[in-house]
Amino acid sequence: MTLFNLARRNMSRNFYRYFLYFASMIFSVMIFFTFVSIQFNHQVAQAASVKIDTSFKGASIVLIIFVAIFIWYSNSFFTKQRKKEVGLYALLGLRKKQIGRMLFYENLILGLLSLIIGMLIGMLLSKFFVMILVKLMDTAVNVSFSISSQAILETTIVFLLIIFLASLDGYRLIYRFQLIDLFRAERVGDKAPRVSALQSLLAVVLISGGYWMALQSLNSKLWHLGLLPVALMILFCVITGTFLLFRSLTVYFLKRSKRHKTHYYRGTNMISTGQLFYRIKGNARVLTVIATLSAITLCAVGTSFSIYYEAGKYAKESMPFSYAYIAKKGNQIKADNTLEQVIKAEGHHRTLNKTAVSVIQVKGKLNGFKSVISPPFLTLISESSFNGLGKIIGLNDPVRLNPGEGLILDRYYSNQFSPNFQGKEGTIQSKTGKNTTLHFIGYRPYSVLNDPFANFSIVVSDDQFHQLERQNDPLTITQINVTDPSHSGRLTAQLTEKLNPLITFTPFSMGSYYNTYHGMMSAYGLVMFLGAFLALVFLLATGSIIYFKQLTEAEQEKMQYGILRKIGVTRKEIKGAIAKQVGFVFALPLILGIAHSAVALTALSRMLNQSILIPVAVCMLVYTLIYVGYYFFTVQSYSRIVNLESR
Amino acid sequence: MSELLIAKGLQKVYGRKGNAYTAIQSIDLTVGKGEFVGIMGPSGSGKTTLLNTLSTIDRPTSGSVTINGTDVVQMNEQDLATFRRERLGFIFQDYNLLDTLSVEENIALPLALAKVNPDEIDDRVHHIAAKLGLEEILNKFPYEISGGQQQRTAAARAIVVRPDLIFADEPTGALDSKSATALLQMMTQINDEETATILMVTHDAFSASYCHRILFIKDGEIFTELDRGHLTRKVYFQKILDVLSALGGGQSDII
Repeated sequence: MTLFNLARRNMSRNFYRYFLYFASMIFSVMIFFTFVSIQFNHQVAQAASVKIDTSFKGASIVLIIFVAIFIWYSNSFFTKQRKKEVGLYALLGLRKKQIGRMLFYENLILGLLSLIIGMLIGMLLSKFFVMILVKLMDTAVNVSFSISSQAILETTIVFLLIIFLASLDGYRLIYRFQLIDLFRAERVGDKAPRVSALQSLLAVVLISGGYWMALQSLNSKLWHLGLLPVALMILFCVITGTFLLFRSLTVYFLKRSKRHKTHYYRGTNMISTGQLFYRIKGNARVLTVIATLSAITLCAVGTSFSIYYEAGKYAKESMPFSYAYIAKKGNQIKADNTLEQVIKAEGHHRTLNKTAVSVIQVKGKLNGFKSVISPPFLTLISESSFNGLGKIIGLNDPVRLNPGEGLILDRYYSNQFSPNFQGKEGTIQSKTGKNTTLHFIGYRPYSVLNDPFANFSIVVSDDQFHQLERQNDPLTITQINVTDPSHSGRLTAQLTEKLNPLITFTPFSMGSYYNTYHGMMSAYGLVMFLGAFLALVFLLATGSIIYFKQLTEAEQEKMQYGILRKIGVTRKEIKGAIAKQVGFVFALPLILGIAHSAVALTALSRMLNQSILIPVAVCMLVYTLIYVGYYFFTVQSYSRIVNLESR
Repeated sequence: MSELLIAKGLQKVYGRKGNAYTAIQSIDLTVGKGEFVGIMGPSGSGKTTLLNTLSTIDRPTSGSVTINGTDVVQMNEQDLATFRRERLGFIFQDYNLLDTLSVEENIALPLALAKVNPDEIDDRVHHIAAKLGLEEILNKFPYEISGGQQQRTAAARAIVVRPDLIFADEPTGALDSKSATALLQMMTQINDEETATILMVTHDAFSASYCHRILFIKDGEIFTELDRGHLTRKVYFQKILDVLSALGGGQSDII
């Protein structure tokens, strides 16, 4: 029998053991292949208004690193499981070289098989994912089934390399082991950990310090040290803190629960607590990795989903009206009529309201700020126009101004970055050369004009506006709202075509809600897709890491549970103890991961000046649900392993 | 003396038809309350199988086992587990202590599982520990103490629930002679003072000489029975050796 045959036979007979490793390999290939397929998909490239190549490249590098680590991890789990088998071969007199070569072949066969299967599944999945992506990007493209040879090539190259390295690792394995190690089960006990008050304190200080830094306003002195160093400092503090927390504080709590005899001496509590206590030191590292991964995943998906979720709102803020235009001199009536005709002819949308407001665009300066603010032009609007438009777009926030007073409309106003306008002054230079000074009584963080025309707008009293109107050439902005503007792609195209000859292009042409909305959706849709895709991969990998870790433990603890059954612990009680113990291992990193990401996302929400509670809560909920699924799955497998033997 | 354990027509067959191996042919035995009974026999004679079937760890192929009036063969898995932990005590050759628990916790475990109130658990654990000389090492973990201490801990765990019957499977098998003697004396002591009934499997004549009565097993059947009566331990030991040599295959175990 050749070694190759032995390797093949090994695999077909020990299918269950190989299955986990095999499955995680297939999973990695599948994910990667799907991802590059999308990258090379022509339809997606066409659909995207932005260049997607760069963002995909970046994401695919993250993915490669991740996949490599993941395969390496499952490979080492797999080989550890087979220690005994390898020892047996050595005992039977196979030379190390032969065993090594056998393991190498095995890994190679497994790798190639999973490469092929993974790509086959990936081909089916990629169409599904492209459909999701196109849907997210708000583009109507009929997705056809296509296989990209470039994707196949890239996946094959990447994975052949990874598989080769993993196989080489398997070959090396045999040289690392001593025969006696191969047979001795892992019975070397961890020294019972001591509670270090200093470490616990340090953990709390580091984490809260990291949180404090993250929550500082970007204007604060701290961030003046530079964005990257501070970000790295926060990361360092939080991750080290998490590690110390797992290492010391958990020991503290376990010790305390041990001292609390009424609880501790109650059924199986002693078993699960003892088990956790025994392993806690070795677990600290894995728990930290999982907490960090969870936090990253939640941040990635939370950020991208929040932005995507708010895309409609952002579009509405910058384009409060469906369409806005300034007609060429003498073409106002013609333009208005054309508009009506086009809307009627198109037939899917109705006009909700139509307003024409007079505005003045002038040069001007704002005084008294840290840095001089001099926008290219200022847009002046009268008090009554402002109040009227505000009413139409549903803002019930009228103002009363006296001559000489001004109210600033700053759509980009940010609590963190914007200056305080109140009490400041501005100078307006009329075309006639006359200067007018305005006292600012405050600001509003929104606009009542579509973006291209709004720029930096100032509301002045009606009297003052009429006075200035005489000194400048006022413009008339026509703004209309139609029904269902988010789906008005065809109407917008037709309007643009028909109206273009009739409207001015200086400084801007027609401002439509739809174009802005669509542009945002396709850009943010891509961000959302990448964020969610990576998050999914991270989540699956995170779950698998805990799962593998727990199964390794289960294999090692088989004996212990055998003893328990002998002295009369029922299978049900054993399962209960396992559920508690595994629950602890799952819950801790999840809680910390959620806490970390909550702080990071709070900082983000402050920066965006926006509450992102709903999308973030949705993400956390979904994440937790999948994670809990993993928990139940792990408990099942764990108790199956330790309850397997009948004696 | 009332009968605590009664086994009738006990048979155990491993494997399936065509490939069957009969470990126990047909055994009837009784153990009275307060007795210290030994089971001896050469390797492969079925001693451990017998102990496992008697102690509910394994199910017999046919026959009945009654412990203190309860037919344990008919019980389901769930009830058996409860029965085991509340009514039986176990001492194994390789101690079978939980590495993750301290000596004190290992002893307390069966009581905790039985949901005994914590104060009482504390009392009973300390009482037993004092008796078996384990007080000094209560807070140590199994891998920190010697084999003899581990086995005494296992014994403490076995008797802490005040079981009807203690099963010991080669308890001295992994111990040096000094620890073995100490353990056997201790078992005799708990047999006397706590009137604990003990059923011990051993292939070592010295260990067996501490018993009141010995059943010799050969090829899955009871070969003979030897009662100590009022003999001194030394004489009894000599008698055991005689039976063993008649039994054959025991020579290698003679000290």
